[in-house]
Amino acid sequence: MDETRMPPGFGRRGLLAGAAGIALGGAFGAPVLAQGSRTLRVRFGSDISQLDPARIFQNENQSIAGHIYNGLVQYDQRTNEIVPDLATGHEVSADGTVWTFRLRPNVTWHKNYGAFTSDDVKFSLERVLDPATGSLYRGQLASVKEVQAPDPMTVRIVLNEPNSGFLHKVCAFNQGWLVSRRAVTEIGERYSMNPIGTGPFMFDRWTTGSEVRLVANPAYFGGASTLTDVIFRIVRDETAAAIALENRELDIFYALQSPDVIERLRRAQGITVLDRPSNNTVNLVLNTTVGPLRDVRVRRAMMHAMNRKALIDGFFRGTKFEATSVLTSTFQEFSEEGVPRYAFDPDRARALLREANVSNFRFEITTVGLNPFDRFPVALANDLQQVGIQATVRVLERGAYVQARSSGNVQSCITAVVGPPDPDSPLVTLYHTRSHPPGLNTSRYDRADALLAEAARATDAAGRKAAYGRLLRQTMEDLPVLPLYADRLFIAHGPTVQGFVQNSLFTVNVSPVSLRGA
Amino acid sequence: MVAYIARCAAQLLVALVGIVTVAFFLMRAIPGDPALYMLGDFATAEALATLRARLGLDLPVWQQYFVFLARAAQGDLGVSVVTGEPALAEIWAAVPPSAALAVAGMTVAVVAGVPLGIIAAVRQGSAVDVGVMLIALGGISFPVFWVGLVAILTFSHALGIFPALGATSEPGLLKGLHHLALPALVLGLSVAAYIARLTRSAMLEVLGQDHIRVARAMGVPERRIVWKLALRNALIPVLAVIGVTFAWSLGNAILVEAVFSRPGLGSTILKAILARDYQLVQAGVLVLAAAVVVLNTGLDLLYGAIDPRLRQR
Repeated sequence: MDETRMPPGFGRRGLLAGAAGIALGGAFGAPVLAQGSRTLRVRFGSDISQLDPARIFQNENQSIAGHIYNGLVQYDQRTNEIVPDLATGHEVSADGTVWTFRLRPNVTWHKNYGAFTSDDVKFSLERVLDPATGSLYRGQLASVKEVQAPDPMTVRIVLNEPNSGFLHKVCAFNQGWLVSRRAVTEIGERYSMNPIGTGPFMFDRWTTGSEVRLVANPAYFGGASTLTDVIFRIVRDETAAAIALENRELDIFYALQSPDVIERLRRAQGITVLDRPSNNTVNLVLNTTVGPLRDVRVRRAMMHAMNRKALIDGFFRGTKFEATSVLTSTFQEFSEEGVPRYAFDPDRARALLREANVSNFRFEITTVGLNPFDRFPVALANDLQQVGIQATVRVLERGAYVQARSSGNVQSCITAVVGPPDPDSPLVTLYHTRSHPPGLNTSRYDRADALLAEAARATDAAGRKAAYGRLLRQTMEDLPVLPLYADRLFIAHGPTVQGFVQNSLFTVNVSPVSLRGA
Repeated sequence: MVAYIARCAAQLLVALVGIVTVAFFLMRAIPGDPALYMLGDFATAEALATLRARLGLDLPVWQQYFVFLARAAQGDLGVSVVTGEPALAEIWAAVPPSAALAVAGMTVAVVAGVPLGIIAAVRQGSAVDVGVMLIALGGISFPVFWVGLVAILTFSHALGIFPALGATSEPGLLKGLHHLALPALVLGLSVAAYIARLTRSAMLEVLGQDHIRVARAMGVPERRIVWKLALRNALIPVLAVIGVTFAWSLGNAILVEAVFSRPGLGSTILKAILARDYQLVQAGVLVLAAAVVVLNTGLDLLYGAIDPRLRQR
């Protein structure tokens, strides 16, 4: 679309003579010119619900929190390497159980909540570990025995046993985001929507269903943003959001999903469309404790029966990637070595079903009524029908879906584990026995615990990768979870946006962004 | 008149208690759990139990109902489980944008619908009549979200007259009105179609009555017959419909709010339903129901003013 379109004038109005409201539109002049302020406007597809790191989940919440909070360390947005954040450095004891972090001096909490000290780190981690908090991420810190604050600028974390992946647990994401003892204590129950952090932006206000506003933190230790504020506008419809981006009513379009809209924006003048593989696959999780699904041959037959390439090329028009396991290429521990592949082969699927002596098998896929999860399983069900499995799709509204899944009483369900590039995030969540329902291990798989513990005990990166590699091989042989495709996040921005870096966390972070000409 | 108002007030109270009771049990009948929504995919059984107890969801439903009624009677509609803020305050905060949309939409509907209906009635059988009725049929038949998207494509994308986003947080009345215009047009036109059809049939009925025939025979100018004699009588059913369509347009307003990304009661209640935020849904339903019932009661009183026969009943 032409960004230099003429402002509406009388000639244009003449085209619409008689239509009500035209005079009103003209009276207010051209609405679509870029603003002169340093406000960045970002599109969100859905609303936020809570910003307390102990309980936070969902991409929109995490996107907001990423601007407000810091961790001891953080993921480099480009490479996913772990780099310093509020800790300037750390040492690990020879036996791998004592981690000592030196903290950054002169960091202050937002809104006059005082100086950041080791006591806040101790409070943040102990708060997640306290059962009374009801944190979702207590298990992530299960290896922590004790958190000590020997002086205001030093934190010592003592582990029960060595954990080669421990830095992931204190990385700036979810439980790794640090909170202020004073703020959490004083604000109390209302903290979840009144967050206090040390990050480049401070929480200003939330208008339910409409927008979230953050303002720049002038005292940010990394240097204040050149933006004055960021407004996250909730625009559910992707076409409306695309028009708003083209009209310069928005600067960044987050969570771009529809292949049509992606194509449209790629053709639009002045719009940049970015994409990056994200840290998650979308999976069909099979309940391995019921009916024919107990037999691994049936599960393998299903994998051969589903034309996943056609799903990616056809339904998603190439906007997703093939998945070879539940880890994606964004993980440093990702490996395909020795991991079995399952080509689309309906004959092989039929043969495996015959071998397993399965006939008249009724199979139900439970999925959530959100785009695209409510539509693509239909194609898979059709593939399964072609080999004689009587597959149906049950679409549930989100609340009902979450309840059905957490009850564990589903034959199969569509599940994606969106999270940091910590391999434990998908692997523990999908395969560990401690994630049995109400957790997401609805397959009730029980053969991964030892391998996950082995990976945690590994002392170096190579050993760690080898252990995860063994786990990937085993789980792809056993197939409690069928990876359908690897997700890919699209983000588009307008011509005035500079310095934007897309991460693989499925979140949007505009901290390094500046506006050209503002 | 006092007895009439008292009767209306009593009906209002009964209607509100009834509506809230239905909303209370309906919300609990649908599957889903606020604790699960709040804790998300990584919820542990232990964390769920803790949260359910804190929210009072571990009590039997009938007990929750009486606790709710007792508190509601004191004006306490509880606290939103998602935000921790008082539910009524959250609903009130969503009222101004919704009220602005509803008032602007109804203004468009009345300003466009009544004259179109009159013109169609006066020119019954003509091309104008057929044209107006066809447009009205379209207005009723096309779903409002579709009309909204077409309006965005036409007025925001192709012509660039109105913004695609139906609300702004930037200050300035004119700016606010400019963002409101397109959603109000879309909402208003669907109701206008309905009002135009009704005004037309009401006008035709009145124009066929004896007193109009007599007036014509006596040489009263046609303009006076239409605008003074017929319209006043035809307005009574139209007013009744405005009351009914207000409730109906609240439903449409939810869709309009979604298409145009506007804040408001619709999006707040929809989000609360999806989150199983019981308190917020109840507060929202109560406020909406009160608005509809009060408006209809007000219109009842207005009929009395317009038609003295109704006052005597």
